[in-house]
Amino acid sequence: MLYKYYLMTVEATSEPATGGGWRERMAENEFLEEKTFKQHCAKFIKHSEEIGDGWEWRNSKDCSDGYMSKMHFQIRNGTSVTEQLFLQVEDDFELHSDDSEVVGPTTASQVIRYEYHVLYSYSYQVPVLYFRASFLDGRPLTLKEIWDGVHQFYQVRLLQEPWSTITQQEHPILGQPFFVLHPCKTNEFMTTLLENSGKDNRNINYITSWLSIVGPVVGLNLPLSYAKEMSQHDAETD
Amino acid sequence: MPLVRHSTWGDRNKPSHESIDLLIKQRVWGISKEEQSLKFSISLVKEKLQSICAALSTGRMTDDKDVLRDVWFGRIPTCFTLYQDEITEREAEPYYLLLPRVSYLTLVTDKVKKHFQKVMRQEDISEIWFEYEGTPLKWHYPIGLLFDLLASNTALPWNITVHFKSFPEKDLLHCPSKDTIEAHFMSCMKEADALKHKSQVINEMQKKDHKQLWMGLQNDKFDQFWAINRKLMEYPAEDNGFRYIPFRIYQATTERPFIQKLFRPVAVDGQLHTLGDLLKEVCPSAITPEDGVKKNQIMIHGIEPMLETPLQWLSEHLSYPDNFLHISIIPQSTD
Repeated sequence: MLYKYYLMTVEATSEPATGGGWRERMAENEFLEEKTFKQHCAKFIKHSEEIGDGWEWRNSKDCSDGYMSKMHFQIRNGTSVTEQLFLQVEDDFELHSDDSEVVGPTTASQVIRYEYHVLYSYSYQVPVLYFRASFLDGRPLTLKEIWDGVHQFYQVRLLQEPWSTITQQEHPILGQPFFVLHPCKTNEFMTTLLENSGKDNRNINYITSWLSIVGPVVGLNLPLSYAKEMSQHDAETD
Repeated sequence: MPLVRHSTWGDRNKPSHESIDLLIKQRVWGISKEEQSLKFSISLVKEKLQSICAALSTGRMTDDKDVLRDVWFGRIPTCFTLYQDEITEREAEPYYLLLPRVSYLTLVTDKVKKHFQKVMRQEDISEIWFEYEGTPLKWHYPIGLLFDLLASNTALPWNITVHFKSFPEKDLLHCPSKDTIEAHFMSCMKEADALKHKSQVINEMQKKDHKQLWMGLQNDKFDQFWAINRKLMEYPAEDNGFRYIPFRIYQATTERPFIQKLFRPVAVDGQLHTLGDLLKEVCPSAITPEDGVKKNQIMIHGIEPMLETPLQWLSEHLSYPDNFLHISIIPQSTD
């Protein structure tokens, strides 16, 4: 499983990077510049469009910056997640306040809408994952309710990993409450990961690697094809 | 303990430094004119007046530390009224309070909550939230920032409406406990130090130092807070300031809650960047054109610092306790 591989590389002891180009500069400088962030997002979205994974770029109203955005829907029966579907938003989908009409024969199941945003943090110079979830009637989920939808493996991991503090914060572009995976430790685990990939001369996309680590913890999964795609097409860009 | 003073203005800039201190003192003076109409401790205001008179009459050169104290002890006279649709068992009287500019609403309104809950039934009470003229007030913004941004050019007292139902989930963060405020405050401090010192100073501190910063704010203890905070205001001798300045610029008319960018306090030629330089770079529409009419006020802690003020000095002296410069751009007042 690719996700496990990335998780494992984070734990490996770090050794000096031998790769060249931006990866070496990154390990020295420790920071991801905004320009590089946007470039990696663009490549990431290009692949997302190819496989219909639903990510898109949104500009802020004054167009000075922007963020990646994805929405998906999840069906839950009590605490078990039965399906994830409907990547495209259908306008009349939201008008059904009685969930059972939409879902079909299953009773007592609920449809939850998840929104994920990837923003750039100037202060920490890393990407940050913002997310929120609500029922179809608009009622937002609490953090505990979101937790119940996370696979047990990641629940345990989350409790162990110090980089994974989740708090409610104001979205810096939209001004609305979102949950955020705290960015202050991102640099640490990404530096290790980048150094290790440099050693093996693997080309990786920062966004893909980062999101494959932090995403599953909050119910966001990346199809394997992202990693395969990046290694094929990144060779000429370093 | 005397503060280590790093950035001075030099002879060229001294007048502006003194004028900021006077501006802050005048702001307090303005509040005291309104005291007649307010039902809170008069002696508090009289004491402040006396210390101002003493300082002005001796005409002494203002010490930078005075500015820090004036910023810390700034207060806003506020009248809290219960929302008319809340269910009460008897009439709820308004509650008057002097709010600290540098603190947070949910940290300083326990008395307000108790006062209104006395006339309500337990089942009609859920999470408290505050609103000004229809706008829900973000408790995670410092009180002084909220006031400057939304109400600075209206008559005192600041009239805030108190709610106990229908929490606006789409607008406000939840504040279940004091721990939430502490976590938010410390998170802001860490972010500010990431910008100033690559997080080196705050990460070197012990947990008890972090706790002291929070307790200093919570208990309104200036000396306790600054004993630790002064370390966050230092920088290496070979530099002329912080790495980047922690700032946020707010404008009530935009959808975007604030502007925050990377900005260095010192130019490549060694010149100190000013407040005007910052605005020109990140928010040029706020600055008045040469021959134009001034349409905006650039406000920090209720005053308008001169645009020539060095940003490094502002960061060291006019930051909020979270170490950020929270700057409001508001329409020019007509009176």
